[in-house]
Amino acid sequence: MKTAVADTVERGPAVPRRRRFAPAGRASIVDRVALAIAGLMVLIALVGPLLAPHDPYSVNLGQALHAPSADHWFGTDANGRDIFSRVLYGARVSLLATVIVIAVATLIGTIVGTLAALGGRVADEVLMRICDIGLSLPAIILALGLAAALGPGLRSAVIALCLTWWPGYARLVRTLVRDVRDAEYVEAARTLGVSTPRLVFRHVLPNSLDTLYVQTTLDVSAVMLVISGLSFVGVGAQVPSAEWGAMIAGAAGNLTNGWWAVVFPGLAIMLTAVSFNLVGDWLRVRNDPTLRGRRS
Amino acid sequence: MTPLLELDDLRASFPGPDGPVEVLRGVTMSVAAGEKVALVGESGSGKSVTARAVLRLDRDASLSGRVLLDGKDVLGLSERAMRDVRGARIGLVFQDPLASLNPVMTIGWQIMQPLLIRGVKKKEARRRGVELLGRLGVRDADRRFDDYPHQFSGGMRQRVVIAIAVIAEPALLIADEPTTALDVRVQAQVLTLLRELAAERSMSVLLITHDLGIVAGFADRVVVMRHGAPVEQGVVDDIYARPQHPYTRGLLASVPRIDDDPSRRLSTVDEAALEGEVR
Amino acid sequence: MTAVTGVSALSVRNLVKSFGGRPVVKGVSFDLAPGEVLGLVGESGSGKSTVARCVARLTKPDSGEIRLGGRDVLGASRRELRTLRRDMQMVFQDPYSSLNPRMTAGALIEEGLLVHGIEPDRRKRRDRATALLETVGLSAADADRHPRSFSGGQRQRIAIARALAVEPKVLICDEVVSSLDVSVQAQVLNLFRDLRERLDLSILFIAHDLAVVHYLCDRVAVLDQGSLVEIGPCGEIYRRPAHPYTRSLLDAVPVPDPAAERARQAV
Repeated sequence: MKTAVADTVERGPAVPRRRRFAPAGRASIVDRVALAIAGLMVLIALVGPLLAPHDPYSVNLGQALHAPSADHWFGTDANGRDIFSRVLYGARVSLLATVIVIAVATLIGTIVGTLAALGGRVADEVLMRICDIGLSLPAIILALGLAAALGPGLRSAVIALCLTWWPGYARLVRTLVRDVRDAEYVEAARTLGVSTPRLVFRHVLPNSLDTLYVQTTLDVSAVMLVISGLSFVGVGAQVPSAEWGAMIAGAAGNLTNGWWAVVFPGLAIMLTAVSFNLVGDWLRVRNDPTLRGRRS
Repeated sequence: MTPLLELDDLRASFPGPDGPVEVLRGVTMSVAAGEKVALVGESGSGKSVTARAVLRLDRDASLSGRVLLDGKDVLGLSERAMRDVRGARIGLVFQDPLASLNPVMTIGWQIMQPLLIRGVKKKEARRRGVELLGRLGVRDADRRFDDYPHQFSGGMRQRVVIAIAVIAEPALLIADEPTTALDVRVQAQVLTLLRELAAERSMSVLLITHDLGIVAGFADRVVVMRHGAPVEQGVVDDIYARPQHPYTRGLLASVPRIDDDPSRRLSTVDEAALEGEVR
Repeated sequence: MTAVTGVSALSVRNLVKSFGGRPVVKGVSFDLAPGEVLGLVGESGSGKSTVARCVARLTKPDSGEIRLGGRDVLGASRRELRTLRRDMQMVFQDPYSSLNPRMTAGALIEEGLLVHGIEPDRRKRRDRATALLETVGLSAADADRHPRSFSGGQRQRIAIARALAVEPKVLICDEVVSSLDVSVQAQVLNLFRDLRERLDLSILFIAHDLAVVHYLCDRVAVLDQGSLVEIGPCGEIYRRPAHPYTRSLLDAVPVPDPAAERARQAV
């Protein structure tokens, strides 16, 4: 209909374009709780060590495997270390590793994706084939290989994840940039005589990366789970380190007589993963007007 | 004599973020049997919502007032009874012929549907479909009956859409911007066809449009809408010769005409002067 | 053609363009004199928008010659093209998609002044943007608003101000009023009239609406399936179309006058 480009702003009641009047991606209670938890996790990652009541690394075998109490809220592990303090410290390790992976992958993915979308057919072909190779590498195999080459540790896991995670972003960015590339306002900027770098940074990228931000938020949980998983199987953070996955790995043997040493770090992983997922989902709905109001 | 269609203080509102938004604020008008009425307005005037409200096409709209078809209020009808009204009593033509045709079905199948679901035999339905399509100026109608929508040009598609709308011989045809997507020469042909069809079948037509030019050549009466309510209605010649409402005057004066002296400056709708009058 | 190439603001010679082997523009030639408004009319598929896009170098034609004030547009290097573009601006059909949604009206208008180094001083650039907003009937306060908070007609005014900011000699308008309501359309058409009187501007006005072209243009060129069938002063062509295609177009244009329409239908 012609009214799709209608003159409705300053007039009286307009024919409702459904999307505009649908509940405009407002945060529901669940969304707010998720936002609060995600925010809390980030806060803990920043200031957690200041709040920790005990040293997370001090071994005290006399206090081994104490159940949760007033002194040790989450109990102690087999070495008598305070689990509450370790979970607080672990937030920094887990989230920092996750943020590094996502930041690096986003940066590489954006550069490669933009070059592929704007650089002509040859560049597109070459870069996308490289992406295919990256996508075909399982993170865990690469991590095992790197662990063998560089020695096991969080560093190997992070490098392995960066190498396997960026191609997904590159493909996404390529699609997003191609959509915007032919938009009329980009053509308008071209006819104005805007230079190519300015065209890319001022007109194309700001309008194409919304979806990418949402994707990265959604990926926080996925990356964190993989890092914890790698730590759990022994190619990520190593056992004494206060990383949630490594904590679970170290305590798994005592599950029957010290469930708290597994459950609390597990809960921390789950809460963080779920809350970031919900926040990502909420951002997605908020940014995409066609999805507004669809969610019950 | 009761008119075929009568709207009495029809109001419609849609859910909005800050409560319901009233989009129709009391539309009262009528269409007599065999009459061609044009509903004219700019975007946001509520002209399309009015047409859709008659057929209750917008599910999230809350409607009040009365929509009388042959004296019976359709707002109270069940969804099942409403289905009989759509198609059988009222046919509908939308602006975009491509969007209103199913791309994976032959146009013949789509034209026959309204008859088949009412129990007409397939052979008879096909005969009537081909005949109608031929009447609407599609050459080789018998052969083209089994073609798909993408094999037709825009103007031909709109003829197919019209065929679907009128095959069940409705008493009223509602055409919502039927020629806006078409080139000017095809527009003229389609309007002529609609006019002839209405005369042959003494079918009433409610034409929704923003184009004051096509109204002049098509309608018997015109209803000018603004902000969800009619500001003026009457016989076409009267409204065009002696518009009473300042909005109608402004609208008519803002249309460029090829039979006018181009040095005469177009005047525009004087929003400020209208402010006091609208509500 | 009688126009003298030396004085043309824009001259197009034998423009040819095809898409996927299908010819869309088949050797179109015309001249745009300084200060002239030339209407380019045709139905969908006539190639009128492709001509506009070729002239603006958004699409590269297969062959032909385009000269802007005597300078070669098609042979221009990237750098030359950027300077050429200062003299030739374009306004698009849909003001809802032709403005970057993330930039304010002020930033959009200032962009041309910035990228062409016309006004390096930030404060002065701002002043010029404000003046341009007022030229097109908006106000200084509108500079900080984003496109989404404007109506369609206002957005089209911003797009016009943005194009005018770099003081072009030629303005290409592709269906710039066809998505607007009639009352808003009249305002924008009147704005163009005022602008052409105040600025010494040549306009290539692409439209499908013959009445709009009649109102605004000095001359009209009629395009049918990629070829010019007729070109000449509006007054003459609208009164006495020489080509049958032009006549059939004009015959189909509805007139908002019931008596005139009845008389026409009776024929």
